[in-house]
Amino acid sequence: MESSYGRELGRAELLDDRLKRSSLLKIGELLEVTIKRFNPDVDLAPSFVRYQVPYAKHMRILDVLNYLEEVQGQDIAYRWFCGVKKCGTCAVRVNGKEVLACWESAERTMLIEPLRHAPLIRDLAIDREDYEAHVLALKPWLQRKGAYPGFPERISHVDMKQASKALDCISCMACYSACPVLDFPGVSNFIGPAPLVQLAQVALDPRDGMDRAELIAKVGNIHDCVSCYKCEEVCPVNIPIVSSIIEPLKRRANADAGARSRHAIMFLKLISQLGRINPARLVLSTQGVRGLGQIKRALKLIALGKINLRQLIYPRAIKGQREVSKIVSKNWNKT
Amino acid sequence: MKFAFYPGCSAQSTCKELSLATRQVAQKLGVDLFELESAACTGSRALRALDEKLFLTLNARTLAAAEQVANQLLTVCNTCTLNFLDCQKRLEEDPEMKDAINSELREFNLHYSGKLRVTHFLWMLLEDVGEERLKAAVVRKLSGLKLAAFYGCHIIRPPEHFAFFDSRNARSIERINTILGSESVDYTGRTECCGFHTAAEGEKIAIKLAGRHVKSAQDSGAKAIVTPCPLCHTVLDTLQPEMETDLKTTLKMPILHLPQLVGLALGIHPRDLGMDRHVVPTTDIAPVGAPDDSSGRESFLPCA
Repeated sequence: MESSYGRELGRAELLDDRLKRSSLLKIGELLEVTIKRFNPDVDLAPSFVRYQVPYAKHMRILDVLNYLEEVQGQDIAYRWFCGVKKCGTCAVRVNGKEVLACWESAERTMLIEPLRHAPLIRDLAIDREDYEAHVLALKPWLQRKGAYPGFPERISHVDMKQASKALDCISCMACYSACPVLDFPGVSNFIGPAPLVQLAQVALDPRDGMDRAELIAKVGNIHDCVSCYKCEEVCPVNIPIVSSIIEPLKRRANADAGARSRHAIMFLKLISQLGRINPARLVLSTQGVRGLGQIKRALKLIALGKINLRQLIYPRAIKGQREVSKIVSKNWNKT
Repeated sequence: MKFAFYPGCSAQSTCKELSLATRQVAQKLGVDLFELESAACTGSRALRALDEKLFLTLNARTLAAAEQVANQLLTVCNTCTLNFLDCQKRLEEDPEMKDAINSELREFNLHYSGKLRVTHFLWMLLEDVGEERLKAAVVRKLSGLKLAAFYGCHIIRPPEHFAFFDSRNARSIERINTILGSESVDYTGRTECCGFHTAAEGEKIAIKLAGRHVKSAQDSGAKAIVTPCPLCHTVLDTLQPEMETDLKTTLKMPILHLPQLVGLALGIHPRDLGMDRHVVPTTDIAPVGAPDDSSGRESFLPCA
């Protein structure tokens, strides 16, 4: 049975289709545009200013901004250069989602805001300096094992397959703005998806000879990625950021005893021993003594039956645990 | 309707009430579940970040075992669902890898064909049971109950795969709410992340990520949050006291597993749905001490 009705509920009802949405707009119809405006040097607080823009055929968000600037003479700060999804400078948040202004169609009502997680210069223009410093901290340049063999280098499509996805990145910072972990800089030092994509351009290149495990784990703090796929959802060039960037980089870190995630290793151990995860055991073995600090919660969970004490001490393995253990030892030999 | 049933690790430990409720609801709806006893963990997000072939082999083993008993597999966990779907897609794209894995599985007398249909409880309700039959099975509408849907990431993203689209537009849980008679509120957390996958290493990110969404649900007037994922449930329910401390506010927001919500509308007793096993009490929604007989049924169901 191929039906995916349950998954697709909402797609048609909410016009999740650019062509359909645009076909509803009539030429000359007034679009309601709200722009978050803020000049930190002058204003005390941001204000949401409303404008009306007549719809023109094939109008993009960038065309709306240009209309406000050129026809209405509004002094809105925004950034763009190429207008064709190449330069990566025009990303903004429209109705809560990061998009390239040059690539997304205008809509009937739009709230346009600057990207998040970067200092604001004015209105829609953000300061890219912090982000660029993060990228540089990951040393995203090739460090060859041997000498440069001269041009042309022998390198095949297969060799470059892993890095090729990352090479599509236009550095627009859409994923950097969408990442929920970056909302809490005091809690996590996760460097964010975009700098890791920049790193992957060289780290996944077969010519690179640098051991980047420490960098990925300690500077990138990659183990704080929550795997929510928000980055993939907004990427205008469709890079599978979680599966083609974050996970291969995590594998690099996890192959190195000094850079690996303790959680991942304990996880693997439990699967090998029991075939499944016993959450209380996993938390205890991952956090060690730190886990004992949560004794109050643990007691409550035991009382509710969420932690089974007997299972914690004498865990029961699944039927067929030996098969699982065999698969693990056959495929994982890093100590 | 016959399914191989894969409850996953959470529903067999921390969220036992989920597999309890799923079985009860399945029985009422005429869905036959065959539990896979030898099924291993799908590897959460950890295994794939260690070794890809290990991740694929382990899941191909479970899928191959499921292929022997049914032509479709039911899960109740978002991350398990995505892991299975991912594994199937990867092996479909890479026949060499599939052959290599099958030769590894041969010694266990298993063969992975890739023909199994993998589905989630939420999708099953709409695609297999269907809206008409679900509606007909409701014995008491949950009228007046305002609910906040918390989808969880892994059955709505990554986009462009597995029929997923712009996650913010997903409406399946809201549709089920309508069928059951309950109302849906709009709030910030519908399609956001609970932070579970970093929680075993340290809970701070999860507390921060989920706390604001529980608060938003409360501000929107929701009486409870309903989620199709046990991992989201674990964060939203178990860590809620910490969220309250972090936000310096009282949340007391009951978190329901989707099958529990459906079970209530089908007239199943809250105790049989394991609703006394939550950290945040669900008594305002459905008192577990309510009378058992059908004449007293009204008294334990949510009041308007």
